[in-house]
Amino acid sequence: MVTRTVCQVFQRRFASTAAALRPSTAEVRSQRNAVFSREQARQRALYPRIEKIEVSMMGPGLDGTLLIMNKGMSTPLSCARHLTEHHMSNSALAIVDGEPWPLHQPLTHSCTLTLLTFKDSDPSLVNQAYWRSCAALLGQVLETAFKDDYTVELLSTPEVPVTSGAFCCDVVFDPRLDSWTPSEESLRSLTQGAQQLIHQNLAWEPLEVAPSVALEVFSHSSCKQEEVEQKASHSPKGTVMLYRCGDHVLLSGGPLVARTGLCSQYEVTALHSLGKGPWGHHRRAQGLSLPLQLQ
Amino acid sequence: MMATWGCRFLLQRGAQLISRAAAESPVQLLGCIRTVKTTTGFEEHLTEDNQKYMRNLMAEEYRSQTAERLNPLKDEPWPRHEWTEGSRRVGLVAVKLGMAPIWTKTGERHPVTLLQVQDCHVLRYLPKEEFDGRSAALVVGGKNVSPFYRTEKEMEMFRNAGVPPKQKVTIFKVSDNAIIKPGTPLYAAHFRPGQYVDVTAKSIGKGFQGVMKRWGFKGQPASHGQTKTHRRPGASGPGGDPAKVFKGKKMPGRMGNTYITAHGLKIWRVNTKYNVLYVHGTVPGHRNCVLKVRDTVLPSRHSTVLSPPFPTYFTEEEGDLDEDLFDENLFIHTEPSLTLT
Repeated sequence: MVTRTVCQVFQRRFASTAAALRPSTAEVRSQRNAVFSREQARQRALYPRIEKIEVSMMGPGLDGTLLIMNKGMSTPLSCARHLTEHHMSNSALAIVDGEPWPLHQPLTHSCTLTLLTFKDSDPSLVNQAYWRSCAALLGQVLETAFKDDYTVELLSTPEVPVTSGAFCCDVVFDPRLDSWTPSEESLRSLTQGAQQLIHQNLAWEPLEVAPSVALEVFSHSSCKQEEVEQKASHSPKGTVMLYRCGDHVLLSGGPLVARTGLCSQYEVTALHSLGKGPWGHHRRAQGLSLPLQLQ
Repeated sequence: MMATWGCRFLLQRGAQLISRAAAESPVQLLGCIRTVKTTTGFEEHLTEDNQKYMRNLMAEEYRSQTAERLNPLKDEPWPRHEWTEGSRRVGLVAVKLGMAPIWTKTGERHPVTLLQVQDCHVLRYLPKEEFDGRSAALVVGGKNVSPFYRTEKEMEMFRNAGVPPKQKVTIFKVSDNAIIKPGTPLYAAHFRPGQYVDVTAKSIGKGFQGVMKRWGFKGQPASHGQTKTHRRPGASGPGGDPAKVFKGKKMPGRMGNTYITAHGLKIWRVNTKYNVLYVHGTVPGHRNCVLKVRDTVLPSRHSTVLSPPFPTYFTEEEGDLDEDLFDENLFIHTEPSLTLT
């Protein structure tokens, strides 16, 4: 009897100190934002003088168009701005020298550029990038939708093919929510949160960083750090791609589309339990969405 | 648990009573008997295994109950209250499909109108102060349409509710215990067979109509000397004393295309799969027009609104309704009409 009360007292004491040690979600977000902005400013400062590069456009009606752009500052979107408004609003992804390139990433050398839209003859790359962006958006919504006392950990998003019918995002919630199943109303409020983000039309800003910077960004989350190390070991250059949307920094395995406004009819459909995992009770959130241009 | 001592007073009916303790003399009319009242906890008469099982079971039940009550998301669901006397629920927005006959069990044939509830959502909550100072209101929309012909302000309201743009947006006056969170869908099972409803819709426009069609005047005879006067109003008032035509005199004018309410229509059947209400009689409006359906205001039909789904029908709470809900007097064609014993 005496030992039980003593144990309870100790648990309560340690629980309060543990909660005090864990920083709040707002603090974590601002810290990640600060590190991202610092790294972005540092990478921009690598090109103090404006140097010109030649970008040759490829595509229907554009073959051989030569554009003189700035090195390290011009993005494929600025190349599209030189062309027409149709190119600017409809292009979702770019192909630079044969490899997929996010629209907001600066070009660093003379290259060939192809702008991809959703209505091309072979939209598989764009579709996959769109699916990845929708999963990233789902992760952002899940992180911001819960009250501040509950922790939400995003795990690595699985690469799901577009033909499977839905995109998913793996999460681990606070241990207090282990037996919580979301009602239809909670799924509806998650959908509303996602639709708010889509309406704000935020850009996914890409940043290629060294693993050490990425580890600093995710210093409060051990599962993210593990994911960073995994991605760094798999990539050919040893760098990791970080994306920022609004004030949420995320890690992605491939290029994402340009803006959140390209999505429409976004719906969070279900939240499944995957059972116990290394980080806690794993959950998979599932959603469905269509691009705006295919309406 | 301590056994408590209690007293029981007995009335002697002329017979000797048996008393356990010799506290009082048995000769008196009232005898006092000491009885042993044992109050035990729920664990005392259980075996060891059963006690352990009960403890685990209670703990699990409490945990699951608290988990259900958890609202970890930032926008919490709104509290749901119980139906009380004098509370008003929200109504629905439906589309008039057409008409069909139904038969009762006694063989009477009634025409019914089919109303389908298509994409009905609650859009906004207007508290008492914002609305009219007397009662709260809910803005409800029905039937999705394209966003191209909706203004920016309307689109903002739809976006805040997280709902596609609607064709008809109406206001329902609602009591404070029946408010619903914006964005909640409303289904046909909100109404049950046997209830009475009022349906409001814009009547079919007839254009500029004469006095016979518009007000039902008798007109004049077709023959027997009538000169050019067959459908005219005739006299327009008393004569010399007022020496004027009173305001509101029934005269020819534009007829129809106004909001008309049909009161006290009985609901015969509700189809939960396609969200269709089978409503007695006729309803104003043309086919495929969008109309408002709400609980009746007639005092003679108040008793039928007892224990309706309040504030509305939620699929997660009462998800296992039959596909078709029939009124008890309705004859169901698919069931056998004769049973031979």
